[in-house]
Amino acid sequence: MVAVTVVADPATAFEIFTQEVDAWWRHGPRYRFRGKRSGTMRFEPGVGGRLVEVYDDASGDLYEVGKILTWEPGARLAFEWRGPNYRPGQVTMVEVRFIATQDGTRVVVEHSGWESLPTGHPARHGMNEVPFLHTMAGWWQEQLADLKTHGRRTS
Amino acid sequence: MTSPDIDRTLAALADPVRRQTIDLLRRGPRRPAELAAAFEVSGPVMSKHLRVLRKSRLIEEVAVEDDARMRLYRLRPEPFEGLGEWLEQVQAFWSDQLDAFKDHVAHRQRGRR
Repeated sequence: MVAVTVVADPATAFEIFTQEVDAWWRHGPRYRFRGKRSGTMRFEPGVGGRLVEVYDDASGDLYEVGKILTWEPGARLAFEWRGPNYRPGQVTMVEVRFIATQDGTRVVVEHSGWESLPTGHPARHGMNEVPFLHTMAGWWQEQLADLKTHGRRTS
Repeated sequence: MTSPDIDRTLAALADPVRRQTIDLLRRGPRRPAELAAAFEVSGPVMSKHLRVLRKSRLIEEVAVEDDARMRLYRLRPEPFEGLGEWLEQVQAFWSDQLDAFKDHVAHRQRGRR
């Protein structure tokens, strides 16, 4: 989980986050999707829309990061995430929450594994019976913390 | 972002029984039969899960001194360390992005006033 507080109300923060994604999303191969080629990042509004990086509108040349799963202006945004070097069928999920605070909005990002994708999502591969107990980061960090203490105990 | 090792670890952990196995082994080594009983699965099904976890090197077999026939499984911390490093990279990525977003919002809001 990563969080930051911005000086805007939740509705405005959501609007800037989605509509102006290309203006704030960092450039360079570490942050964009096709190495040296920088395109234009875009959220297609609403559930079923996509997060894409467009290289050429005319020819339709783009990289699809993933489909939008939740679109609640001023509150919550969730979308699939496929990294450029994911294997076929591998998909993760990013959830962004906008929480009103006294002086602005707390923006919380959680990047979780496929086990937290919504029930019925094709990428879940028959894992639909699994309760969403653990987000990837939360569960693993718990494992790691435990293993560190365990390691110290036994070594 | 994902190396083959991380991929193997993630694939091994994509199954709920295997995640629960890891959860249980955190409390100490266990026999295969104990694990099968805890998750209400058959011996062969449990063996299959243990094989996947062993191949991905998340667990290892340990010998019991008094009884040569008895097998115990315990966790190996190494794959989790690799996972931890990868998670830190993911965290760093989003932390950089949110910093950039914060600056952008501040800049835009100054312009609006």
